[in-house]
Amino acid sequence: MALAERIDSRLQLTFEDGTDPISGDQIYKTKSFNNVKIDATADQLLAVTETLVPLQQLVLYSVKRNDTELITED
Amino acid sequence: MKKIELKFENEEGKTVTFSLDNPVEPVDPVAVSEAMDAILSENAFFSSGGDLVAKKSARIVERNVSEIEI
Repeated sequence: MALAERIDSRLQLTFEDGTDPISGDQIYKTKSFNNVKIDATADQLLAVTETLVPLQQLVLYSVKRNDTELITED
Repeated sequence: MKKIELKFENEEGKTVTFSLDNPVEPVDPVAVSEAMDAILSENAFFSSGGDLVAKKSARIVERNVSEIEI
């Protein structure tokens, strides 16, 4: 039996950053915030995101949470 | 290349900085202060010196790069 323990969590915001002049594809830019509390809720992270986004100019595309789990043997 | 930096104090009195590229200018100091209040009240982040406990400062930082031909 394996155990998975969440040991690290980060908030990753993806913004639209214009289009590629040749292909016309959307370009995205990501910004990560480390040191998210393991027990932080999605509501908390969304609230933080909603206050940070208006301080900058790009359009928010997605909000992600990246968790790292340490897997060990039971 | 400009950035906005939000500086907080943690429980050990050390500074923790959040930065964002492409800040809106002119900066609205009230909006910046409110955003920092929200980060403190949500309390969703930690630091090596404990929770964030107070706002310290905020600033716009610009980096100028000039290539040197060698």
